[in-house]
Amino acid sequence: MGYFGNVFGGFGSLLSGMSVTLRKFSQTVIRRKAVTMQYPKELPELAPAYRSAIKLIRFEESNSHDCVACKACERICPSYCIKLSGGKVEGIKKKRVAEFEMDFALCSLCGLCLDVCPTDTLEYSKVYEEAGYNRDWRVDLLAEFRDYEEEFVAKQRVIEEKAAAEKKAKAEAAKKAKEAKKKAEADEKADNDSKEELS
Amino acid sequence: MSSDSQASEGEVYSLNMGPQHPSMHGVLRLLLDLRGEEVIRAKPVIGYSHRAHEKMAENRNTLQFLPNTSRVDYLSGMIYNLGYCQAIEKLLGIDVPERAIYIRVIVNELNRIASHLLWFGTFLLDLGGITPFLYSFDDREEILDILDQVTGSRLTYCYGRFGGVTWDVDETFLTRATAFLARIRERLHMYKQLVTDNVILRERCTGVGVVSEALAKSYGVTGPSLRASGVAYDVRKAEPYGGYDRFDFEVPVLHEGDTMARFHIRIREIEESCKIIEQAIEAIPEGEILPKKMPKRFKLPEGEYYFAVESARGHFGMYIVGDGSDIPVKLKLRTPSFSNLSAMPETLAGTMLADTIAIVGSIDVVMPEIDR
Amino acid sequence: MPQTLTQLLDGSVLAMPIAAGLIMGMLTVNVLMLVWAERKVSAWIQMRMGPTEVGPFGLLQTLADMLKLISKQLITPSNVDKPLYHLAPLLAFAPVVAAVALFPFSESTILVQNDYGLLFVFAFGGIAVIAIFMAGWGSNNKYALLGAIRSVAQNISYEVPLILSALSVVLVVNAMGPTLSSGDGVVAINGLDLSHIVMTQDQQGIWFVVLQPIAAIIYFISALAETNRAPFDIPEAESELVAGFHTEYSGMRFSLFFFAEYTNMLIVSMLAVVLFFGGWDGPVLPGPAWFFLKSYAVIFVMMWVRWTFPRLRFDQLMTFCWKVLIPLSILNLLATAFVIAVL
Repeated sequence: MGYFGNVFGGFGSLLSGMSVTLRKFSQTVIRRKAVTMQYPKELPELAPAYRSAIKLIRFEESNSHDCVACKACERICPSYCIKLSGGKVEGIKKKRVAEFEMDFALCSLCGLCLDVCPTDTLEYSKVYEEAGYNRDWRVDLLAEFRDYEEEFVAKQRVIEEKAAAEKKAKAEAAKKAKEAKKKAEADEKADNDSKEELS
Repeated sequence: MSSDSQASEGEVYSLNMGPQHPSMHGVLRLLLDLRGEEVIRAKPVIGYSHRAHEKMAENRNTLQFLPNTSRVDYLSGMIYNLGYCQAIEKLLGIDVPERAIYIRVIVNELNRIASHLLWFGTFLLDLGGITPFLYSFDDREEILDILDQVTGSRLTYCYGRFGGVTWDVDETFLTRATAFLARIRERLHMYKQLVTDNVILRERCTGVGVVSEALAKSYGVTGPSLRASGVAYDVRKAEPYGGYDRFDFEVPVLHEGDTMARFHIRIREIEESCKIIEQAIEAIPEGEILPKKMPKRFKLPEGEYYFAVESARGHFGMYIVGDGSDIPVKLKLRTPSFSNLSAMPETLAGTMLADTIAIVGSIDVVMPEIDR
Repeated sequence: MPQTLTQLLDGSVLAMPIAAGLIMGMLTVNVLMLVWAERKVSAWIQMRMGPTEVGPFGLLQTLADMLKLISKQLITPSNVDKPLYHLAPLLAFAPVVAAVALFPFSESTILVQNDYGLLFVFAFGGIAVIAIFMAGWGSNNKYALLGAIRSVAQNISYEVPLILSALSVVLVVNAMGPTLSSGDGVVAINGLDLSHIVMTQDQQGIWFVVLQPIAAIIYFISALAETNRAPFDIPEAESELVAGFHTEYSGMRFSLFFFAEYTNMLIVSMLAVVLFFGGWDGPVLPGPAWFFLKSYAVIFVMMWVRWTFPRLRFDQLMTFCWKVLIPLSILNLLATAFVIAVL
């Protein structure tokens, strides 16, 4: 390419670039195809895997969470943002969590706590707009469960008593069956003995 | 430097570029000695975003270090996150289910494209082209949305687990990814028309900032910057990991070593990544995403181990020293940007001020990755 | 009917204040509109929306921005050269306002009638360079100084092809006849008089962009460089020099530079309309309407160019000027002179 070739070739490439931007311009103006999402006026559709602060799952059958205060999540948390305590509750055998706090300002949403939870009672909440107004941004995970705790304990007691009764009944039944079997065996043995004696 | 030597060089003055400067990506600080607009010496100063990731690794167990990995290089967080998982898996002999291998390849390559697109945009922004920057961010946004579907985060993914991944991909994800491939191919054509063919860009980049093969090798430059200097080194081919040997893709190589070559290499790598994703979507099997049997604690055997993956910027290596417990004695991260940047003083000397911006932009440094 | 507004107010002490007030009002509205338009055009090219919140279609956004800039504290950095630093914005601002007064918006709407309007417009354009250099030198900032040095070299270089391309138009106008029939009757034609250039195009029924296409292109490119617009925005290249010569300016001083920049855009496009696109010439609509419609069309192209291309490097910019534009414009001028001589 000579001098003029360079000049006109370069000019042509500029024009082709300008045709691209003009095309985009007319697309936006005519077809109203702007890609902007007008955030406070419209919200994005949250993905199924969306991660926000962790929360306790409310199970349908018990109408409460299933946290047994094993502290596995507190131990695994890389940012040490989970604080929980709990243990034996009066009246039921099952251990329950008494305090479950999480400092969302520290959380890095890695999800390790969800992985280690033995009862699978943790999940991500789907809150999109969150802001902390303190450096200390504590979330009380038990807030929505407190009112139901008594109810849960009562229910759990019934369940446990029922379970205990069932277990007892089962144990007794098993015992009976065992005795019956023993007896039958003994009878058989006696029979055999007598037969042997006879022969 | 004494005033005598300054006087002998003529009207030399120093310009302190960064750490707060519109085109110093992140917090790079360049101390430039200038004669007029000509750069005589350039000295990169690093350390403005040191977060002690390596020290943190020595104080927590292997699993707890997972969220840190994607924060080393936030632009290709997925590659770092999964790379760390792969390192530990190889060390402990954990078998990864087939489906998880394919999912990992897909998200890795999507992340690589996203990183290259961001580089493309910011590089053009450095050269003064604002519109291509927004177009490429539009494309990148699509990738982030797709990855958000499965990982729940947009940049600092903590998607990998030892032995697999946290969330299974569904049909929607795969169709969206396929649709994205069609879209990005069409857009690449548009970028060629708008940017690559543009005479101003060609004038700005061709023959500027040549990194010779010898210089690149002596400083340990890796990734697209090395491949633009004529060395066909890609960890995915050289030491295949994570199932990359199953896919058919090329390692693009150019020999010019200039800014334009680095530009072309990355564009072609986007195309190659598209090819890999296409094959992976085609061949993805059904099945589990995490192995059934897993050790409860990931205890590192005694000894020293090294594992490397190909990040969007080059050879990312992890040097792990174990002592039998599940807390590493030492976890050294070999990050590509550091070596790539260290070749800069020699490359920048003798260029124009405007070229300095273009060259530093073209090697695609991520400062938090250098400082760690 | 009086030919110009000055004639209308002739003798009145109010003449100059009224003319100045008219220009200032017009220019303020113009700058507000242009900034809004720039933001909208860039947004639409980039598939965004641009300002939408303040006023209908975000029209009042720039007004709000201007009010914010006015109400900001004026900051003078330490160790600046105070006289230069304070004077520079005013010096950048004043000549562009003066230059606008010279333009013929229609046959009868001319604020200041001057027989050598073309020369005056270029002369006022030249003063802007001094202001930019004063700002850069006085700021005591290396980025600002680099920007100022670049700006001086660039503006002085690009004035050459700019004037050469305008000169070929002047040659054509003068060749169109020894006389011209205007509102005042038949007058001797004067290629340097802006209204004569338009009237010639009007009466010959041909725009000079058809007769002088190469000059038009050269003029347009040089005009982009003169106004420091992308891809020639090297004096204020943000990715290299932060903000170039006005790095250290803020508040109202910054907005004066801003004002000057956008008014400069208007001036070069009005001059393009006068030289190449037939000025107020057009059917149905009144003259001034056509004049501004055409000027804004030229400005739209300037914006379109800005949002498409990356920036040139400084030495390439100079090479382009001295090795491409100036030879081409000289060739064009010689060819024009040759054709005129032969005819």
